[in-house]
Amino acid sequence: MSDRAEIDRALIGSAAEPFTVEVEKGAIRRFAEAIGETTPIYFDEAFARSLGYPGIVAPPTFPTTFRPLAKPAWVQGLDEGRILAGEQGFRYERPIMAGDHLRCELRLTDVQDKRSSKGSMELMIQDLIVTSHSGETVCVNRRVVIYRGLTVTLAREVSS
Amino acid sequence: MTRAGLHKPGDTLSIRRGPITTTQLVMYAGASGDFNRIHYDHPFAVEKGLGGVIAHGMLTMAFAASCAVEAFGPASRISNIEARFTAPVRVGDVVVATAIVERVAPDGPIEASLTAEVDGRVVLRGMVEVLPAAEAAV
Repeated sequence: MSDRAEIDRALIGSAAEPFTVEVEKGAIRRFAEAIGETTPIYFDEAFARSLGYPGIVAPPTFPTTFRPLAKPAWVQGLDEGRILAGEQGFRYERPIMAGDHLRCELRLTDVQDKRSSKGSMELMIQDLIVTSHSGETVCVNRRVVIYRGLTVTLAREVSS
Repeated sequence: MTRAGLHKPGDTLSIRRGPITTTQLVMYAGASGDFNRIHYDHPFAVEKGLGGVIAHGMLTMAFAASCAVEAFGPASRISNIEARFTAPVRVGDVVVATAIVERVAPDGPIEASLTAEVDGRVVLRGMVEVLPAAEAAV
């Protein structure tokens, strides 16, 4: 049952339809509010400029909001109740700023099997490549997602 | 923002966030676009074997990132930040995020470990590389 691979390995190396993002002040503000941030670089343009930024800055994990218009092929048909966050990483060439027009491509870099005492799971290793319109890489956001086997539960006491 | 500028190995800053509320999880779902029901639909989360709603891992990572920004100051530049989620965070939890300087390169960049804990239990482990404000140039 859950020991069978459920994510199509043939999709390794494929990418979702590229999409563009216009980074809006309001989106940064809502994200900053949701994470409990009060640092003025996320809200106050004059303050951000006083620190040498060209404008309002996005929080470091903001690229997590960059999503393809349609679900990538490799997650279609999966049970969302079995999807968990595994790891994330953000490599920056420069900060992301309000007003940026960015091109994004989400790629399925690898799929790995993982077994533990709790059961089997599959890891989807995805990379979001964020580039400026002039083609320079701005950020690479690695997103490792866990797809739990049906038998893997997550009560507080069994996790460590 | 309080104090800024951890600069030598062992320097440490912790921040506290929470208690996490369902309202915050709904706000985070809206702001991030992650509408997975395990983060706000209790019966669904129970049915899926999670024992109830769990917070978005990326909300916990956002707290760790806030800690890094506070530790090195908002004028510093993060060049890399990574985290692994080691245990679920739930409604009512208070999350303590901590940055500890591990290494300082001669030409400026600083590497720090990041952790997030709930009641002393580690829920996130990660690291951050930062260029301090003096070396950072936009």
